Amino acid sequence: METKQTHGHRYGMVVDLDKCTGCGTCMIACAAENNVTVRADESDKERNITWMQLYKITNGKKFPDTEVSYFPRPCMHCEEDGNGGHNPSCVTVCVATATKVDINSGIVSQIYTRCVGCRYCQAACPYHARYFNWWDGYSLIKPFAKGMERSLSPEVSPRMRGVVEKCTFCHHRLMRAKNQAYADDRREIEEHEYTTACAEACPAQAITFGDLNNPEHQVSKLIKSPYAFRLLERLNTKPKVYYLSSKDWVRKMADNYMPGEFKPISKAVG
Amino acid sequence: MKFNGKDITELLALNRRNFITLIVGGAVGIGLSPLPWKMADDSAIWTQNWPWVPVPPVGEFLHEKTVCTLCPGGCGIEVRKVDDRAVKIEGRTDYPVNPGGICPLGMGGLQLLYNEQIRFTGPVKRVGPRGSGKYVNIGWDEALSMLAGRISGLRKVGKVDSITVIDGNRMRSTMAVMIERLTKAIGSPNYMRIPTSEDTFQTAGMLMQGSDSPMAYDLENSDYILSFGSGLLDGWGAPGRIINAWGQWRKDRLKRATRIIQVESRASNTASKADQWVPARPGTEAALALGIAHVIIKKGLHNTEFVNTSASGFSAFKEMVLDHYSPEKVAEITGTDSNKIISLAEGFAKAKAPVAVCGKGKGALNGSLYESMAILALNALVGNINMPGGVLVHDPLPLDKLADIEPDAIAADGLQRSRLDQAGSAKYPFSRSLFSNFAEAIIKAPKSPVDTLLIFSANPAFTLPDGGEIKRAMEKVPFIVSFSPYHDESAYMADLVLPDHNFLEKTDDIVWPAGLQYPLYGMTRPVVEPLYDTRNSGDVIIQMAKQIGGAVGDAFPWEEYEEVLKQRARGLFDSSAGLTGYDGATPAWKQMKKGNGISPDYDSFDKMWEEIKSGGLWYRPAHTYKNWGSLFKTPSGKFEFLSTKIELAAKEASLEEMGISATGDEAFMPHYEHKGHGKGEGSHSLRMVPYEMINLASGWAPNPPYLKKTLFDHQLLKDESFAEINPETASKLRLKQGDRVVLKSHKGEVKVRINIFEGAMPGYVYLPLGLGHTAYDDFLNGKGVNPNHLVDGGMDPLSGQPVWWDTPVKLIRA
Amino acid sequence: MENQERPSLDSKKGGWISSLIGLILSYYAKLISNPFRSGLVYFGAGLIGALFVGWVLFPFALYSRQHQPLDFSHAIHLDEDIVEIEGDTDLERCQYCHAFRDDGTFAGIPKLETCMECHDDPEMALGETPEEEQFLKDYVADEKEIPWLSYSRQPDCVFFSHIAHVKMGELDCRTCHGDHAKTDKLPVYKKNWITGYSINIWGKNILGIKSNSWDRMKMDDCAECHTEKGREENNACFVCHK
Repeated sequence: METKQTHGHRYGMVVDLDKCTGCGTCMIACAAENNVTVRADESDKERNITWMQLYKITNGKKFPDTEVSYFPRPCMHCEEDGNGGHNPSCVTVCVATATKVDINSGIVSQIYTRCVGCRYCQAACPYHARYFNWWDGYSLIKPFAKGMERSLSPEVSPRMRGVVEKCTFCHHRLMRAKNQAYADDRREIEEHEYTTACAEACPAQAITFGDLNNPEHQVSKLIKSPYAFRLLERLNTKPKVYYLSSKDWVRKMADNYMPGEFKPISKAVG
Repeated sequence: MKFNGKDITELLALNRRNFITLIVGGAVGIGLSPLPWKMADDSAIWTQNWPWVPVPPVGEFLHEKTVCTLCPGGCGIEVRKVDDRAVKIEGRTDYPVNPGGICPLGMGGLQLLYNEQIRFTGPVKRVGPRGSGKYVNIGWDEALSMLAGRISGLRKVGKVDSITVIDGNRMRSTMAVMIERLTKAIGSPNYMRIPTSEDTFQTAGMLMQGSDSPMAYDLENSDYILSFGSGLLDGWGAPGRIINAWGQWRKDRLKRATRIIQVESRASNTASKADQWVPARPGTEAALALGIAHVIIKKGLHNTEFVNTSASGFSAFKEMVLDHYSPEKVAEITGTDSNKIISLAEGFAKAKAPVAVCGKGKGALNGSLYESMAILALNALVGNINMPGGVLVHDPLPLDKLADIEPDAIAADGLQRSRLDQAGSAKYPFSRSLFSNFAEAIIKAPKSPVDTLLIFSANPAFTLPDGGEIKRAMEKVPFIVSFSPYHDESAYMADLVLPDHNFLEKTDDIVWPAGLQYPLYGMTRPVVEPLYDTRNSGDVIIQMAKQIGGAVGDAFPWEEYEEVLKQRARGLFDSSAGLTGYDGATPAWKQMKKGNGISPDYDSFDKMWEEIKSGGLWYRPAHTYKNWGSLFKTPSGKFEFLSTKIELAAKEASLEEMGISATGDEAFMPHYEHKGHGKGEGSHSLRMVPYEMINLASGWAPNPPYLKKTLFDHQLLKDESFAEINPETASKLRLKQGDRVVLKSHKGEVKVRINIFEGAMPGYVYLPLGLGHTAYDDFLNGKGVNPNHLVDGGMDPLSGQPVWWDTPVKLIRA
Repeated sequence: MENQERPSLDSKKGGWISSLIGLILSYYAKLISNPFRSGLVYFGAGLIGALFVGWVLFPFALYSRQHQPLDFSHAIHLDEDIVEIEGDTDLERCQYCHAFRDDGTFAGIPKLETCMECHDDPEMALGETPEEEQFLKDYVADEKEIPWLSYSRQPDCVFFSHIAHVKMGELDCRTCHGDHAKTDKLPVYKKNWITGYSINIWGKNILGIKSNSWDRMKMDDCAECHTEKGREENNACFVCHK
């Protein structure tokens, strides 16, 4: 579909890495909100599922100048594939039209019942944001943890073995907010009514979520900061997830810079 | 019959040709019917809806407000339910402790509720050998009469002191009061509480301020936070509160109003995210604090008003500090640059509202007493005791004291006997429970002096940093009773389990969230009906006491636990004005600073009680600051740099018996003691330090499976956990990333893999706490190793608690 | 052999098409004249059998038949002479029991609580039907929820917002649910053995042909209506899937 994806809203996220403490609450909130499965061996990082994933980075300096920081990484909900196409690379390659950019929200959708499990999108995603279900996570026949299915939320359908899943910006929360708005005789929702589980849960308020097309929304203001950047920006995938950091070494980690290519800004500004 | 000259039967024979014709006819017919098309569609749908993939039932969304009791933080939580199923835990914005956020443990709390494999579904008794996990279900009546019968039997033969009760509930909580009351009523002197850094803090306060004020740091109003190993971002205090404050402090990227300095030997999250990281050797924090005090005093930066009018023993303290703690000398002890010490001292003393914080890691384990005193002395030096942004001195929550029990003859006799762990004796005058002594007494005796061990809300076999001593001791105890809702290590060793409700099924109170700067009484209410045949341990205590009968029964005149809670809460109503509602508009710490009086938002006790039950909250965001004239309840009436209480105690027992190597006045003041294990002691040339992580539960509550997603594969890979060492140490030992090694202390050994991390102090080995379970289910059992079982750091002077932050270990390549 | 003449007669009238038809007909005529040798009996038997299976047996066997736990009469409850249900329009009267919650979600089949707003006394029937007696005895007395079978339940992957359609889209209940409100007896609930869906999703008609908007509830039907109403943007995947 070549139509410009903006149909009013373009939801995006800003993560302030100066505030992020690496506690991991966002990961848990995401998993609990979205019925993500958990296995006995979660250390198999190629096969476990974390829609929101913390990446740990260090400045590489010797003791005692070592510093640790974290990148929380949801799905980036890219706008382009980096080759001039107006769809993210995962959407471009999907053979089953199981993933698309939602024209109403800019959110990259994933329909599990449509997915054939070819994992092409997984290979195409430069952010490793897509996950394949190698097992039936919640199975009534052979439960991985007896009784745990009682905490499943009806707002997100549990996935079966053999399909790909990823962060949806808690799309069901948009639907929840819309239902509430309709009940209150409104068509549009307020900024605070729709936020993702990770943003809501972050105890340091490091994650801000909102409509990038609405100049009044916090996210639109935050991305104008000189400290704002995106992951692998030079791929031109136009992610809708932004980061803020006043630390040059953190910002430098966000892309593969050639020697001399990265321009430190913290000195220039502060 | 013939047809066209042929027999009809021959014509009609089902030969190959005719059979194929029949099939072809059938195929054409099927093709002309809707069957294949409908089948194709239906089977496509079938593949999308495997019958074994659960479909979560829809229903009405409900939001139940309660308070989390998984850690001493007591954050407000809201549980989203679909009809009667709880599906998500979220933070409350109308609770003053945590404005909206909670920690990963609280977030994963539902998995502790619903994972049936880790829960006892009813009372059980052991049938297999101890530790085999073989139980049979019994009814509550049988379980209660078994236990009551055993206790009554021991009482009859006068062996009441062979009953020991271990309690993991928070100090002053109603559960702790009930359990201690039960122990007393039975007549046993052996009531033991799991020691935490709050105990150490309160003892330090008792020795220097004369009052056991709850730990209350006014961090939000401070502009310079000097943390001595407190994992402010690693689960210390109420994580929902601290991390929220952290976010606020980081709001302005260029001009930070609050500076955070972290003293710690390892680049933890707190150390990395702090404005400054000061690495000091583990266990030398007291020396660093006194080095800072040295610079402050030498430069005359201390608060003369406080020191002159409200403190005693300052001259002795000054003399000691100036003599023994010069920056150069401290630099040598701690490994911190002396210039750094000077600049720290200047920064601390010149800040408007500086505060020095104690409580290592999450604060869940005991601290070092002299170290806590040194840190408190530092706060006193700058006069930030009971001042905005400093350490606040409070009275404990004014909860109603229950009527004293009237012990019968058996109990009166039992209570006269000495405690097995010698806590409170002349040798350990300031400690309430000493698990290492307790374990030693059992291990050394030919026959266990403890006959029956009752364990409430605790998992000592896993969480105590004692080199596995208590576990070995427990193996000798003839009869262990656990009240745990979970299949934890201690319950695994139990002979009888009377399971409590899970925290989301229970009514209980939270007495003063750890570290909070204002009094707060929280209440947790059941958000779901109990899933299994479990009972609130508070109710069980009452039922058990009644069954024992006599004076024990009389000590518990209530019908149910909630009556006790209500009775105690009356004290809140009677004593001081408080609030039961919080709108989130003005944070409580801001309201406090305004200094306005409070008019209660209730007019009767019943109203207040109803509000507490529905909102889970009573708090008092007001405080009388300074008040130095009447604040200190020490013998001198002043803040004592030189503690009279220690001085007096030293008359009852020698300093040596108390484990103190210092002599003279120094022993009565905060000072640094070099512990026995010198560097390069024999083959044990490395030091092991356990560390805590906010995303890995290491206390009584098990780690919910979701939290394992947050562990990196250089922390846990399959079943192996990793030890962090510095690249320098690694190259000296010729170790590569991922190498398998055995770490050996005098107490035990563990097999781990090596993670090379620049942020680890050279010469030290760091192991995470919370792994290495031998009980529970596939998610926890056998994953990694438990560093507690290696701990062998000797005894902290004066307190008698274990030194768990410095264990000499030997590293052998596996 | 006489019949062989007929195609040739026809071929005289028409061109090559009729001669082709003639050829085929003559072949069949030959078969019919010599039925047993050709195996037509077998072909026909197979054909008829399969048609029977495909058109009669299969549609019947594909669905389970379950009776609702209780025979509820929508007609009686919506008869203004019998029951006073508040509401000026049909929609409002439907919503008296099938209500929206405050958060905009749809309660669907009402809980016993709603029934007990009127049927509050298990000892006192409001009407005279045996169904009500049974209802009071089995459910109201024990306050037990009625295990209704839902005719229109969509699969788990579907998100459907009633309020978006009924309130914002101003659709009648009837558009999708037909004249269910006028029925005096609850139809037998038929569940597809393969998919687990109710027959109402695919439609009563085995061919899936619909003559009314409420005959089917498949994705295409949603899309068709969206398109008709000029709401193509609502055909985006994430509007109806979760």
